[in-house]
Amino acid sequence: MFDFNLIIKSLPMLLEASVWTVVYSLTSVAIGFCIGTLMCAAGLSASRLGRGISAFYVSFFRGVPLLVQLLISYYCLPLIGVNVPSSVAAVGTLALCTGAYLAEILRGGFLGISPGLIEAARMVGLSRRQILTRIEVPLAVRLTLPALVNETTMMVKASSLISVVGVLELTRLAQNIATSTFQPLEIYLTAGAIYFVINGAITLLGQLAESRFRLETAR
Amino acid sequence: MTHLTRRSAVSRALRLAALGAVASLAFTGLARAEDLLAKVKAKGELTVGTEFQFAPFDFVEDGKQSGMNKEIFAEIGKELGVKVSFLDLPWPSVLPGLEAGKFDMVAGPATITKARMERYRFTSPIANATVAILKKKGDASITKPEDIAGKKVGSAKATAQLAQLQEFGKTLPTPPVVQEYVDFSQSYADLGAGRIVAVANSLPNIAYLAKTKPNVFEVVEPPFGKPVYFGFIGSKGEDAKSLMDAVDAVLVKMKHDGRLAALQKKWFGTEMATPDQVTEASF
Repeated sequence: MFDFNLIIKSLPMLLEASVWTVVYSLTSVAIGFCIGTLMCAAGLSASRLGRGISAFYVSFFRGVPLLVQLLISYYCLPLIGVNVPSSVAAVGTLALCTGAYLAEILRGGFLGISPGLIEAARMVGLSRRQILTRIEVPLAVRLTLPALVNETTMMVKASSLISVVGVLELTRLAQNIATSTFQPLEIYLTAGAIYFVINGAITLLGQLAESRFRLETAR
Repeated sequence: MTHLTRRSAVSRALRLAALGAVASLAFTGLARAEDLLAKVKAKGELTVGTEFQFAPFDFVEDGKQSGMNKEIFAEIGKELGVKVSFLDLPWPSVLPGLEAGKFDMVAGPATITKARMERYRFTSPIANATVAILKKKGDASITKPEDIAGKKVGSAKATAQLAQLQEFGKTLPTPPVVQEYVDFSQSYADLGAGRIVAVANSLPNIAYLAKTKPNVFEVVEPPFGKPVYFGFIGSKGEDAKSLMDAVDAVLVKMKHDGRLAALQKKWFGTEMATPDQVTEASF
């Protein structure tokens, strides 16, 4: 009953599609990290406008389902003359969405740095810029590393939604093969295993980074 | 809402979201005043939206698109002198994508229904879409459609096929027990596993299935539903008229010179008579 041949036959295609899953999700996380850093900085700034923009951004992209955001970017933006291709709509929307989560994760990291540490840095004569780049950012990233890894694995899974804007990725191809061969069990099990391996690798990298930059030495 | 005549692995919620997100599009009249045929020819490319999950029209074989649509559109492309490129999307996204101008027309095909004709322009039909019964190979208890009375029969949720099955069931002494599935592939799996004894779906789809899995499935002739047809879909707007007329001309020409019949024979295992144009849908 269980058809191993189908798995062997489909595996190269599924792996090819999973490359797109990885490319789309990791590109989005990278761009989203930049957006998140900016929004986090705005959220922590003294400027009321900056805090307002950050709060609005986060509440919108965190409050609206990713699926709806994708549909809006692909089907509603043409209305105002913005006709983006599928791949741009996919990466852009994923990045904007994860940017909101990353902004909050990073904000939590910055807030977790003890004020005494910053005071001490100021005492030994470090400039504001040095304090930011040498102490605050590395510490915030280190403190939030588990949450950042968590968010990255979430994005790998969330990328299964981007087929609604016409992008081929792992889940979409699995669906296509499953309905064409009438053998969903084997295909979805394989696709699930591929996601598991991708996220396993991300988790492993996260653990490596965690042990490489140990909190004890950082403090 | 109209009955969606197609299966979909995506939930109904997605369908609603897709429609909701683009509902405004219908009322705003997109800035597509330019003539679509002229645009397609200038670009040298006809972009077609479809879903690669509707064998034998569109499906995936060795990771690539295969099926009748590809071959029909190859002829259309040849006659119009343009390249044809397909975009694969979940079905609930396909019609909204057409309205947002993401592609020039939609393959599918979809059952030509009254409700849909109000909103879209259908091409000349390419196949008979009348609903018939698929049973397990060699099941002697079902030899005609009426034999499903009182038995467990599957179909896909929110489809025109399901609606026809329910209507037909009412005419039987004991109506069948209808099992609704998210998409047809699940109903085929359950038929294979013996959880249901029959599946009601459009003839070309089950004829193809019986042809590819002759040891598992068998079609019960004749179809029982109201006669309906499958057609490709385009926009109803003035700008799309020239393109749709040109595609229609090619399809009618293919009907008359036997090219369409040859493709029907190849993909359904049998030829199907279709009118040049459906002016009034029966359903």
